[in-house]
Formats: sequence, C-alpha cells, structure tokens
Amino acid sequence: MNAFHQAFIHRFLRPMQVGWFLATRQLRRSSKGTTALIVFIMVLTFLNLVVVSGLLVGLLTGSFDQFKKSYSGDILITPKPGREFIEESAQTIAYIKNDPNVANFSARYSVLANVRGSLSENAPAKEKANQAGGAIVGIEPSSEEQVTHFSKFVIKGQTLESGDDNYILIGANLIKEYSSFADVDIPGLELLKKVSVGDKVKATFSLKGETVTKEYVVKGIVKSKVDQISQRMFVIDSGLRRLLPVNEWEVQEIAVNAKPGTEPAVLASLRGFTEGKLNRVQTSAEAIPSFLRQVEQTFKILGNALSSIALVVASITIFIVIFINAVTRRKFIGIMKGIGIEPRAIQFAYVFQALFYGVTGSIVGLFITFGFLKPYFDVHPIDFPFSDGVLAATASGSAIRVAILLVVTLFAGFIPATIIVRRNTLDSILGR
Amino acid sequence: MIRVSHLIKEYGTGELKQRVLKDLSFSIDSGEFVSIIGPSGAGKSTLLYQISLLDEPTSGDIYLDDRLTNNLNINEKTKLRLMELGYVFQDYALLPELTAIENVSLPLLMQGLSKKQATKKGQEALERLGMHDKAESVPSKLSGGQQQRVSIARAIAHNPKILFADEPTANLDSENSDLVVEAFRDLHKAGQTIIMVTHEMEYAHKAKRIIELRDGLIISDKHT
Repeated sequence: MNAFHQAFIHRFLRPMQVGWFLATRQLRRSSKGTTALIVFIMVLTFLNLVVVSGLLVGLLTGSFDQFKKSYSGDILITPKPGREFIEESAQTIAYIKNDPNVANFSARYSVLANVRGSLSENAPAKEKANQAGGAIVGIEPSSEEQVTHFSKFVIKGQTLESGDDNYILIGANLIKEYSSFADVDIPGLELLKKVSVGDKVKATFSLKGETVTKEYVVKGIVKSKVDQISQRMFVIDSGLRRLLPVNEWEVQEIAVNAKPGTEPAVLASLRGFTEGKLNRVQTSAEAIPSFLRQVEQTFKILGNALSSIALVVASITIFIVIFINAVTRRKFIGIMKGIGIEPRAIQFAYVFQALFYGVTGSIVGLFITFGFLKPYFDVHPIDFPFSDGVLAATASGSAIRVAILLVVTLFAGFIPATIIVRRNTLDSILGR
Repeated sequence: MIRVSHLIKEYGTGELKQRVLKDLSFSIDSGEFVSIIGPSGAGKSTLLYQISLLDEPTSGDIYLDDRLTNNLNINEKTKLRLMELGYVFQDYALLPELTAIENVSLPLLMQGLSKKQATKKGQEALERLGMHDKAESVPSKLSGGQQQRVSIARAIAHNPKILFADEPTANLDSENSDLVVEAFRDLHKAGQTIIMVTHEMEYAHKAKRIIELRDGLIISDKHT
C-alpha cells in the first residue's frame, strides 16, 4: 500500500467508516416522528423542485404534444416563407411514399377564403356581416385520419368521407357560438353566427386572380386546442382541386409520421431530398411558433426560480435540523473529540444523516412523481385554454434535481456540523 | 511517564484574569495509581485537563514519555488521546444512542480495527468490568454505576498508557463507588497507570500516591 493510499485511509476512509457507524445509530435510535417530519419536508421540497416546474413547463409540453399529434406529425414540410406551395409537391409525395421508414403522411391544400353564413348577400344595417375569413384546407380523409386521428376533433356532426365534395367542416373558433373570442369585440374579427350542422355556407376563393364561389353544407364542427384545427375549415382535397385553378399536387403542407425510432433517419432523408428546393422540412418541435417556445423558456425560468426558492428552504431546513441536533449534542461531540474521535468522523456522521434525509425524501418524491402524479396527469391533463397540461418530468431532469438537492443537503449538513465540531473540546464537554 | 514543569494555567484577561494553577512541577511514573485531591476550586480538574491534553496550559511544559506535548497540533493531540490515553468522566459521558458495546468499540473503530475486532476487544473490556451481560443495553437502561463501569471499559479497551478519571465516583452511591474504585485497583494491579481526581478521601486513599492541591499549588505529594 503506498503512502497515498495510507493517507487516504487515515484522512477519509476511516473517518467515513466511523461517521457511518455514528450516523446509522443516531438515525436508528432517534425519534421516528422527527425523522418522518424531516423526510416529509424533503419530499415536499423534491416535489416543489420537480412538480411545480414540471407542471409549468408541462402546460407547454402538452401544447407541443397536441401540435404534433393534431397537426404537424413527426415532420412537417411546408413552402419556404413567401412561397405559395411546396416545390415539386408530386415528387416529394412520391419520395415520401417510397420511404420504408414513413408510417403515414397527409398532404394538405390550404387556400384563403371568405365564408358567409347567411346566404342573403345583404347583412342588416349596422351589423357585422355573418361571415368569417380563414384558410380552407383540402384533405384526403383517410390519410388525415391516419396521421392526426382527425375525426376525434369533430364535436358536432360527422367527419368528412371520400366523395363529400359539397361538405365542409368548420373550426369552432370561426363560429360565434363556440368561439373563445365571441365575448370580446375585436376590430376586424368576423365570426359566423348561428351556423350549425346541415346549414349551407358560401365560400369565396380568390386564387391567381380568379374568384370562385361554392356552396357547402356544414357536415361538422371541429374543435381542438391547436389553432390549426379550430381556426380553419376543411373540405375534400379532390373537390378543391377540381374547383380551383391549381395544378394537381401543389400542396401547402405535408405532415409525416415516421415509424418508431426512425424519425431522425426520415428527417435526414427528406432534408436530403429537398435540398436546393424552396421547401422547409421541420421537426414538430421546429415547426412550433417561436412565441410558444419563448413562453416555454419563460416558464422554465419561472420554474427554476421557484425551484431555487424551494432549494433555499430545504437547505435552511436541513441546516437548522442539523445545527439544533449538533448544538443539543455539543457535550457528546466534545466527549467524542476528547476520547480521540476525529472531528472529520463527526462531520461525516452529520453529513450522512443529512444525506439520508435528502436521499429518502428524493426516493419518496420520485415514487410519488413517477408512480402517481405523472400517470395521473397523463390520464387527467390540466384543462388549460391552449393546451392539456401534463407533468413534464423526465428521468434525466429529475436525476439532475436529485443531484442538486443532495449537494445542497450535503452542504447544509456539513456547515453546521463543522461550526459545532470546531468549538473548543473542553468547553463542549463542560458545556461552557 | 508524565513530567510537568512550571505549569501555569490562567483563565480570563485583564482584571478578570485568574491564575488557577500556579507553577506546578511534578512527575508520575509508569504503573502508578495517583489521586489528586483538594477542596473545591483547588484546581484538581484543571490540572487533569492539562496533563490529559484536553486543554492548553498558559505556560509550562508537559511531557508524555519524554515527548513535549506543547507543540503538538490539534490533530496530533487527538491521535495521542485516541491511541495512548483513556478517560473516565464524572457523568459517565456515554453516547446515548449507542449501546454499551458500541460505546466501548467506538474508539477502537477510530483506531482502525474492523468492526469484528473492535467488538471482540470491547466485549473483553466489558467482561473485565463485569458488564458483558449488558453489552446490548443503551445507557438509559443502565444504572449510574453500570454506566460508569461501561465508561471505564471504554477507557481501557484500547490498553491506554494512562487512564485519567475525573471525579469518577461523584455521581454514584457508596456501593457503586466501591465497585468503580475496586475496578481501578484491579487495573492498577495489572500495571495500568491511573490518575484520578477526587474529593472523597476514602477513595483517594485507595491510590498509592496522593497529590494534594490547594489554591493552585501542590501542598503535599506523598505515597500511601
């Protein structure tokens, strides 16, 4: 054994062993109620660290998740800004069809239109016209169903089927009776009034200098917390193609779902294919509007700020617990030093006790988080206006928080123990 | 074994300064059983704290085995107390959360013995004091006399060169006091050096040498 090993054993290993010996006995024979209370505080601290920030971020995570499942799929292909449609749409679709890693996809047309709810051209004087402007999206129902399970967004009526050329689905936010904005008078915002399933509406399209009008029967009303569903209208793509002066397969969106585990490969493949073309190939996360990502960042900062407060509270709690413990046991600490127990061993004893509180609190907290809270919020998400909030807690994120909590706990145990251990041995023994 | 030269201990500063030990010089040989006696405030315990390295003298030299202890740092003194000295305190000073055997084993673990070795030596020490059947009892379940005997077992388990005892019978009834002092006599017969502070003359005379202090001065030093 070389000098380094001997020095390590003398300076650390032996004091650690004695510290462990003391800590385990102190914990075993201390008040069970007090120990349970301290562990409870540590559990609350852990939950504060993980759950509070997790719920804040989870509101956005839920939104992003819905954006992906309801609209973008794993990968979204769109024209570059300023372009009307995806360049070489037909070739792109053919390429996607032939990619063995693609599970399903949906190509969508999107055309701006004005839709009148009343077929009378003249609205009563001084009243807003019964009309709404927005995008009418042409979809192929079975493809769309595979990618987004579109039919589940239908809150009234029925979803579209092949051959429904004269039918339309209208987003709930475009109808006054369903819209979240109906109770505020926003200048320029026009909503359809008293439009329901079975009613007729007239859509006016302006495309490439041509104006085309078509009557549709409302087949259903669709609603989702994703604006791309609730603020748009949906018709059959083939009907739209026949109606408008568009070339076949000049689509505006292609939502692609990759087979499990193959998203990076599909993404790379599609990016390779579209290189040099005026298209954008984005992951769902990249396609999310930037303001939502900014909100997510803000929530993360808020969550971290709240977590920091929780950490400070936890460290003060542990500090006080250990300090009071050490102060009340000052005489015994003095006696231990008197009979030759190294101060370092006594410090280790308190650090181990503090770590016990931290580790136990974290384990219980992890169990509550992943065994109860996360599954609960997955099944019963928080009903937030723009998302179904989930608990955004990951194993890696939680591991980092556990590590932070333990480091804080370690110092919160070490510092008060050191303060007491450094006091004069005889003064401690004699209690002066 | 112990040589004390011109030992002075003062407490306080300025006008409040109080000289408790006044230029003491004496020596104690290996194997001696010495009682330090004197009235309250004579400086008995203060002297014990200085020579047992629990306190720092104001001036003067203390030698243990011809080794000057004044210049030892805190860690060296701690190690010396662990390896070569043993302590018995007036109020037993057992750690309440440890059983008797754990209390006795603790310094042995600190010395580097394995738990098994420490427990074995601890059991032997308890057996010498007739306390082996109480090895698994925590101090709160033991009488004062039993606690003090466990305390002695802890002090001797590592075979210290010198055993220091500060008023070891002060909190005990006469029956338990007799048992404790008899234990010291047995240890002394086995060659243990013992330095005991007491104010009880009956027990002081059990030692082979009595150093009497008064007002910080040695007023007599005689063998019985």
